[in-house]
Amino acid sequence: MKSFEHINAMSINDACNLLRKYKEKARLIAGGTDLLGILKDRILPKAPEVLINIKTIPDLNYIKEDKNGLRIGALSILSDIVKSPIVQERYKVLAEASHEVATTQIRNMATIGGNLCQEVRCWYYRYPHQVGGRILCLRKGSGSCLALSGDNRYHAIFGGKRCFAVCPSDTAVALTALQGEIVIASGEKRKRTIPVEEFFTPLGNVLDTGEMITEVQVPRPPEKAKQIFLKFTLRKPIDFAIVSVASVISLQDGICKEARIVLGAVAPFPLRETKAERFVKGKTITPEIASLAAEEALKDAKPLSMNSYKIEQTKTLIQRALLS
Amino acid sequence: MESPYRFIGKSVPRKDGVAIVTGEAKFIRDIKLPHMLHGKVLRSPHPHANLKRIYTERAKKLDGVKAVLTYKDVPEWKGGMPSHVRILDSKVRFVGDAVALVAGETEEIASEALDLIDVEYELLPAVFDVEEAIKPDAPQLYTQFPGNVLPNECTGFGPNPLKEIVMGDVEEGFKEAEIIAEGSYRYENIPNPLSPELPGAIAFWEGPDQLTIWSSAQNPYWESVLLYLRMGRKTHVRYIGTQCGGSYGTRLMSWQLTLYATLLAKVTNRPVKVCYSRAEHFVAYGLRLGSRINGKVGMKRDGTVTAISGEWIINTGYYSQITQGQLAVGCGEVQLVVRSPNWDLKPKIVCTNRPASGIVRGFGGQELKCAFIPLLSEAMEKAGIDPVDFFKKNYVKPGDGYYWRDGNWWVCRGVDYTKAIEEGAKVFGWKEKWKGWLKPTEIKGSKRIGVGVGLHGNADVGEDVSEAYVRLDPNGSATVYSCLAEHGTGQRTSLCKMVAEVLQIPLENVSMTPSDSLIHPFEIGPFGSRGTYAIGSAIIKAAEEAKRQLLERSAPKLKVTPEQLETEDGWVYVRGRPELRIPWRTGMGVDRTLLGYGRFEPDYTVPNFLMLFVEVEVDTETGKVDLVHVVSATDVGQIIDPLNLKNQLHGSLGSAGVDSAIFEESILDRKSGRLLNINLIDYKWRTFLELPTFQTVTLETPFPTHRFRAIGVGEISTAPGPSAVLMAVSNAIGKRFYDYPLTPDKILKALGKAKGDQT
Amino acid sequence: MRKGRSKTIAKKRSLKKGINRSEKTTIHLLVNGQDHILRIGKRYDEVDPSHTLAHTLRETLGLTGTKIGCDHGACGACTVLMDGKAVLSCMILTVEAEGKEITTIEGLRDRETGQLDPLQQAFIDHTAFQCGFCTPGIIMSAKALLKENASPEEKDVKEALAGNYCRCISHYQILDAVMSVVQMGGKGDGISI
Repeated sequence: MKSFEHINAMSINDACNLLRKYKEKARLIAGGTDLLGILKDRILPKAPEVLINIKTIPDLNYIKEDKNGLRIGALSILSDIVKSPIVQERYKVLAEASHEVATTQIRNMATIGGNLCQEVRCWYYRYPHQVGGRILCLRKGSGSCLALSGDNRYHAIFGGKRCFAVCPSDTAVALTALQGEIVIASGEKRKRTIPVEEFFTPLGNVLDTGEMITEVQVPRPPEKAKQIFLKFTLRKPIDFAIVSVASVISLQDGICKEARIVLGAVAPFPLRETKAERFVKGKTITPEIASLAAEEALKDAKPLSMNSYKIEQTKTLIQRALLS
Repeated sequence: MESPYRFIGKSVPRKDGVAIVTGEAKFIRDIKLPHMLHGKVLRSPHPHANLKRIYTERAKKLDGVKAVLTYKDVPEWKGGMPSHVRILDSKVRFVGDAVALVAGETEEIASEALDLIDVEYELLPAVFDVEEAIKPDAPQLYTQFPGNVLPNECTGFGPNPLKEIVMGDVEEGFKEAEIIAEGSYRYENIPNPLSPELPGAIAFWEGPDQLTIWSSAQNPYWESVLLYLRMGRKTHVRYIGTQCGGSYGTRLMSWQLTLYATLLAKVTNRPVKVCYSRAEHFVAYGLRLGSRINGKVGMKRDGTVTAISGEWIINTGYYSQITQGQLAVGCGEVQLVVRSPNWDLKPKIVCTNRPASGIVRGFGGQELKCAFIPLLSEAMEKAGIDPVDFFKKNYVKPGDGYYWRDGNWWVCRGVDYTKAIEEGAKVFGWKEKWKGWLKPTEIKGSKRIGVGVGLHGNADVGEDVSEAYVRLDPNGSATVYSCLAEHGTGQRTSLCKMVAEVLQIPLENVSMTPSDSLIHPFEIGPFGSRGTYAIGSAIIKAAEEAKRQLLERSAPKLKVTPEQLETEDGWVYVRGRPELRIPWRTGMGVDRTLLGYGRFEPDYTVPNFLMLFVEVEVDTETGKVDLVHVVSATDVGQIIDPLNLKNQLHGSLGSAGVDSAIFEESILDRKSGRLLNINLIDYKWRTFLELPTFQTVTLETPFPTHRFRAIGVGEISTAPGPSAVLMAVSNAIGKRFYDYPLTPDKILKALGKAKGDQT
Repeated sequence: MRKGRSKTIAKKRSLKKGINRSEKTTIHLLVNGQDHILRIGKRYDEVDPSHTLAHTLRETLGLTGTKIGCDHGACGACTVLMDGKAVLSCMILTVEAEGKEITTIEGLRDRETGQLDPLQQAFIDHTAFQCGFCTPGIIMSAKALLKENASPEEKDVKEALAGNYCRCISHYQILDAVMSVVQMGGKGDGISI
């Protein structure tokens, strides 16, 4: 890993000012579980010269609930979210998604803010510099997307435009299903809030220079809403999703009143399946309805040369989520 | 079974146990020498190119850089079979090939210097597929190997090594056949065994022709010989083995990094350590061979095989270290499992522009079987024969013969494994679970259960030569001189047990010298499951010889003949008169040690076998294959250590074994020639959360050939696995498969639920 | 057990906008109960900001029992306890471990008597290793679990160890070893760290 200047940020203002000062030369570090891998593999043509440690900012590590809903500080680690009785009880889909991330050790280090900001797992993008040199691609500002004509078995089947890497965050999928929002600060008092699904852009996220995530907010889901997170991987631990589904369904007398169905790892962002949601609303969810909803959801999928199998898997996960 | 022995057959704590659990065991990365430098390798971004110009000046000027070497600066040291790979060359042949070496004061400095080396490449077209590579207009990797085909002879296997299986008359054999199966099957996912410890070595020149190496090879003596040969027979090499953090065969692929350290140590006159990163481990060490069968099998309805013919095309990657040896052993091992009077199986070794294949547990046999057994299964399927019955009928039993790697015909004088197969089938519940070919055992909603079985045999348990000394000290202790590092089998402890048993002294009184080529007699090393029989027999002979000397020296003092004496716990006593005894120190004298020498000569007549039964669950809606139950059945003659043995059998799930049928693969980008999944997230390996239930069946039918009636088995625990899984998945979903691994895309495609240009 | 007091030698400097930030010249770690004050800098015996905790433990403090298997947080060989939790020392910057209590495999044995931790003894008794390279990391992961939950079920053990790479497949005997300690009623919870 190339050396860098390391600065402990003492406050949100401090961190934002440092980001503005150093601009693209700086990166924030929280859990570090994603960033250090990127630095060690030296996948970026320009390594960050400054790391701004935000773990030294007080009061960004909390999980609390009030009548409006849940608030999670950006520095909360995933294992605390998994174990939080509040999250387990009322925001179960988020507890499940957080638990599905990586391994015990990683969850003891990784923060919710970092999980949302992590870089894509595309193996062209991530190719390590030390064994033949990094691969430059569109996402790095030069060249084209190599996955398009290469091995794209894990890439997007929806919404890919110039880059076909998928959003790797599990928590983003669950948070989108819960209508979660991200609080973005450019200073102690300067904050904006955006829905989680709008956080991701084709080549990254909406964070501007000088901005950082400070909090995740989740409105209280309807009482007794059925929440579930399903993730398809080749192995239970460690793996990033090949496909995932988070759903929050409210039923009344067996009839679906509200539905949020969100797909993960199929697009560059958590993909809200409004078509499927509309389809199940007002209906009793039978196996047939679930199957039709899944068909509806995948109607517009555009698989690449090697990933049409993800369509079937996604349909399966949607059905299983609806019928769970 | 209750062991008749004092130590043999009982679990004992491993002698290195405390060092391992406390972190005190020293692996290569844990060793630091004074003034040591660190070496790094600049690696090619292109799969095939000539080096036009290399500019190293900027790198040399970097503070802390002590040497930069390119092909222009190095001697004609070569490896490979036949010798064909220069240690640094003017041409690169795969993405990751070595272009230049740097030594720096720290790893960071050396890494930084790599970026300051500028290289101009003349790009050449690259080829990755074996059948493309042998076409007339294909890019050529080596001028001396036209058509990219390497010779089949393994130079280490005697004057007439096995190069093919040709016997009888296949045309006649096919005429006799009632069933013919024909097709192309591939095991080309080139899984990587990926030892937990990263490869590394330290080199230091003690004098102009005196080199010392520290490395984690399990066979330091033989490695010292190989380095001597590769360095042009001028340098005396002392090779010191460290604790070995997993080999699975691949530690024998360390010669390149060892010579990188050697070259850098020479020019800097300082010790140099070269340790690979995990990414380098993925591309610059050793993958399994690519294996493709285009073949034909003739069979009678009763399962009698009448003829086997075809082509076995082996993809060795950019070079062959000893692929010819794997070819020979593979050809031998397939005959152990399928007897046929008529054979015409012609192997062909092809080099391509991808990382090298190399030595891996299963040594050619696993690779050949994985492609061949599915073809054979097609014939069994047409004949409607239960594969357990088929294997039971067709494997080699005492009195049956086979060509082994030296090209000679050997007749089995080992034990009959039928009982082990039957016991394994019983424990697994094969009869209840087997519903016929392409039929699931059970359907549970979207899940389908299927079973499969594989058999592997190996006559290399008695391969090659071992020598050993055993020294008796007057204080009643013994020291074993045998040049092997501990690589996980517990063999160093097991060998001490054998000596303790011969000498009847407490195990704590037996120790083994550090694995250092300087102080030992010849030892080729622990691989091929030869530790128990080959190494063990040499050590046992040495212990017996030392004991003979002890009794001879003690006899006059007890006024009896040596034949009347026995020894126990450091005493020599008269048989039947235990009160007539003297301690070793009296028998041998306090100023004397006794040294016994033992030698083992190769013996290819006692093959071992292992049958692996697997049960899989296939989710027809996601395409996921789960391994749910495994039974590993074998006969080991006499268990040496029950817990070590179980560990070795469980090993079928690791080291690019069974899972190379499920999710293990090295994914090659056919445009750029790069391996894409070169980290431990994207390369899939089995975790604690996906352990199948695993039962082991180990019979103990005494082998006639070993002092304690034992035979080794570790090597073959992986080999029967992948084809067994392929069979099980085929049965679960009623579809045949022609290649590996059976990832969800392939399953869903077979079920008609996915399309496209699949992986 | 002594509690680590982080005594940071720091000088104040004020940045524009009046932020007080301590520019650190040393880093303080409490490793296996021993205080270490390390200088931050570029010399070989100093801690560079880019050094990982695994690097510092091994190269600066000589505690080579902590292994580096992938250096990317994917194999668990470098697992240590940080403030009692299992973490990956290859993915932690040493400069960010200021004031933390670290336990490595070398810290499990009783410092006075040399007696092995019950987990260590159980690993020997069950031959719960083959090549042994992954063993320190696995023992530390198991240790963290037992600290948190003295009577885990086998599935909890599997989960706790799921991030530890073992390629020889010693998993079955490792589970036996860990469960044997659990069955001894956390005897040896050596859980005094």
